Amino acid sequence: MNEKDFASKLKPWLDRSANAIGEMQATRLKAARLRAQDAYREPVRILGLITVPAGTAQTIQYTVVQRALLLLPILALIATLGVKSVQERDMGELDAQLLSQELPPDAFLDQDFRTWLSTQR
Amino acid sequence: MAKHAALILVTLVLALGIATAAHAYDPSTPQTPWTRLSPDERRILGPLAQDWERLPGFQQERLISSARRYPSLQPIQKERFNERIRDWAAMTPEQRRAARETFQGLRRLPPEKQHELRERWLRERQGNEGRGRPSPR
Repeated sequence: MNEKDFASKLKPWLDRSANAIGEMQATRLKAARLRAQDAYREPVRILGLITVPAGTAQTIQYTVVQRALLLLPILALIATLGVKSVQERDMGELDAQLLSQELPPDAFLDQDFRTWLSTQR
Repeated sequence: MAKHAALILVTLVLALGIATAAHAYDPSTPQTPWTRLSPDERRILGPLAQDWERLPGFQQERLISSARRYPSLQPIQKERFNERIRDWAAMTPEQRRAARETFQGLRRLPPEKQHELRERWLRERQGNEGRGRPSPR
């Protein structure tokens, strides 16, 4: 018996069984079918380095996104503290340079000096 | 995935922007008591000891930050720093901001132009002092 004959003989039995299946079982079967299709998708190449099954790639993607969302407030806090620290350093540096260079600070408030400076730009 | 990455990026950029704007001039910065300064900081900021508690927190913070740069200065620069720190602290925040802006403007010029302007201002001041007039303002 070839494959076609076998399928034609089996089909009525499957159809009859399918009609007898309840809604709950049909839903579960549908979900199982979708999972099977998912698993059968083309493998995914990550960053051109490794190839993983599509299901694994999706799991990795969801995990990364979930973690990233959890890390978001922490990253924002670290960024804020980082900026504060860099600014403090820069401001201190600028003031120290201003106070220690050749001209006194009041030179930079002098209107003549500011006018000369603006003509140089 | 790209949408989430963009969200993270936007949040970080916003946080950086807010932090930058908030920290530039923050009157809510708490004061640092003189006794909390390290011995080195107290020595460097010594000329301000009497006035320290009257200075707002954000100004104290900047002065402490400047004092941390002090050890890396050359002897002549240290001398200038010591002479000027008191007058600097006595300026209003607006005056200090204006002085910083002008100073930064000067630094953007080529070195020879910077030198020329410095010399010009010093000559002018010496001329005024010689004639018994106040320094240029």
